[in-house]
Amino acid sequence: MTRHSSWLVLVLALGARSGTAQAPPSRVNTIGERWPFAPDGSVRIVNPSGRIRVIGWDVDSLAVRARGSGRLAAAGTASVRTLVVTGRAGLEVRVPRGARVWVKSVSGDIDVVGVDGTLDLNSVVGAIHVVGTPADVTAETMGGPVELAGGTGRARVKTVSGGILLRGASVDLGASTLSGTIVVRAAGWQRGGAGVQRGHFESVTGDVRFDGELGRGGIVELESQSGAIALRVPGTTVADFDLLTIGGSVTNRLTADVAQRGALRFSTGAGGAQVTARSFKGSISIEAK
Amino acid sequence: MMCSEREAQLNEYVDGTLAAEARALVEMHLAGCVGCREAVAELRSLVDGARGLPRAIEPASELWTGIAGRIGKGERGKGKRWWRGALAAAAALIIGFAVYRLLPSSAVFYGPEVDGWAAAQIDYARATDELAGALALERDRLEPATVALLERNLGVIDAALRESRDALARDPGNVELRALFAAAARQKVELLRWATRAAT
Repeated sequence: MTRHSSWLVLVLALGARSGTAQAPPSRVNTIGERWPFAPDGSVRIVNPSGRIRVIGWDVDSLAVRARGSGRLAAAGTASVRTLVVTGRAGLEVRVPRGARVWVKSVSGDIDVVGVDGTLDLNSVVGAIHVVGTPADVTAETMGGPVELAGGTGRARVKTVSGGILLRGASVDLGASTLSGTIVVRAAGWQRGGAGVQRGHFESVTGDVRFDGELGRGGIVELESQSGAIALRVPGTTVADFDLLTIGGSVTNRLTADVAQRGALRFSTGAGGAQVTARSFKGSISIEAK
Repeated sequence: MMCSEREAQLNEYVDGTLAAEARALVEMHLAGCVGCREAVAELRSLVDGARGLPRAIEPASELWTGIAGRIGKGERGKGKRWWRGALAAAAALIIGFAVYRLLPSSAVFYGPEVDGWAAAQIDYARATDELAGALALERDRLEPATVALLERNLGVIDAALRESRDALARDPGNVELRALFAAAARQKVELLRWATRAAT
C-alpha cells in the first residue's frame, strides 16, 4: 500500500503544475541543477539502483549532480523537493546541513555526510553509511551493512543480514539484525558526549559487541539468540549488570564476581547505568577496556 | 494512508518514547498528514485497549478473525496489491503487538500463564502463515537475489525459533526463554512484513 501510495503521491506531485517549480524529467548523462532551499527543508530522493551521496553544506540551496543513463525528475519548492531517478544514475545531492533527508533505494548504496537534520534512509540490499552528527537517524536495509559514524541524538537501525557498526558519541541507540553482527563503539563524556543513555541491541544469530561508555543512569539492553555478546566498558564504570545465557557461558573479567548456571548479577556502585544481556545459547563476556 | 517510513516513529510517538525534538517533528508532520493522523488514532486506540486487558486474555484470536477476513477480501480483487500489502502490514503490526504485550519485560519474573502464552504462539504462527502466503503471491516482483536473501534468512530464523520452541517444551514456564522466543518471532514478522512491503 505504502509503496503504491508513495508513488501515486509522487506522480501527482510531479504532474501538478501549480504551486511548485516543475521541471520535466531530464535524460541524465551528466547534469547539474541547483535550487534555493530552506535551511531546514525536506528533500525526498528516490533512486532505485544508482549510488546516492548526500552532502550537507553551509549554503541555503540544494544542488544535484546526476550521472548515468537514467532520467532525473525534480519537483518541489524551496522547502520541499523531490528527486526521482528512473533507470540507472548515480546522484550527488548537496543540501543545507539542517535539512531533513529521506532516501529510498533498492540496490544502490546510500552515503550521507555532514547533515545535522533528520535522516530516513531505506534500501533493500544497498549499504548505508552516515558520517556526521544528525539529530535523528532511521536506517533500514535488508541485505546491506549500516555504519553510523560521528554520533546522533537518536538512531534506529535495522538490517536482516548486514552488519551494523555504530561509532561515536550517541545518546539513544537502537539496532536490530537477524543474522548480521552489531558493533557499538560508543564515545562518552571523555570525548564530549554523555555516554549511551538508552541502547537496545538485538540479533538472532549475529554477535553483539558493545565497546564504550555508558551514560550515568543509562539503560542498555543486549540480546542475541545464538550469537556471542561481548561488553567492554571502562574499568571505572558504575552500573548494575544483569547477564543471563541459558545454554552458553558467562565470562566476567571486570570484577571478581562469578556466574552461577549462566547467570551473573553484580553492581559496581549505586545510581549508575543498568545493563542487561540475554542469550539463548550464545556466550556473554564482560571486561574492562 | 500512513507514510510507511514513519511507521516506527509513529509507534514510538504513541508509546511516548520519542525525544522532545523528534516528537515536535512528528507533530508537525501530523498536522499536514491525514493518513498518519488516522494511524496514530488507531494505534492509540489499540494501546488503550491493550492496557485494559488482563495478561491471560487471548486477544489475537479475535483480532485475527477480522484481519484474515479482510486479507481474504483483498486477495480476491485484482489490482489491489497495495491493499493486500497494507493488510499484511497491519496484521503483522497487530499480531506483533499482541505477542509483545503478552510478554513480560526480560527483567521481570512472574508465574506461568501457559494458556495465554500458547494462544499467543498459535496466533503468531497463523499471522506468519498469512504473511508468508501474501508474500508468496508477490514474490515474483522481488529480485532473485532478494528472494535468495529472504529465504536464507527465513531459514535462519525458523531454525532459531525451532530451538527456542524445543527449549520451551522442556521448560515451559521459563520467562527468559519466552522473551527470547518472542524477540525472534518479532524478527520473523518484521522480516515478512518488510519483504511484503518491498514486493508490493
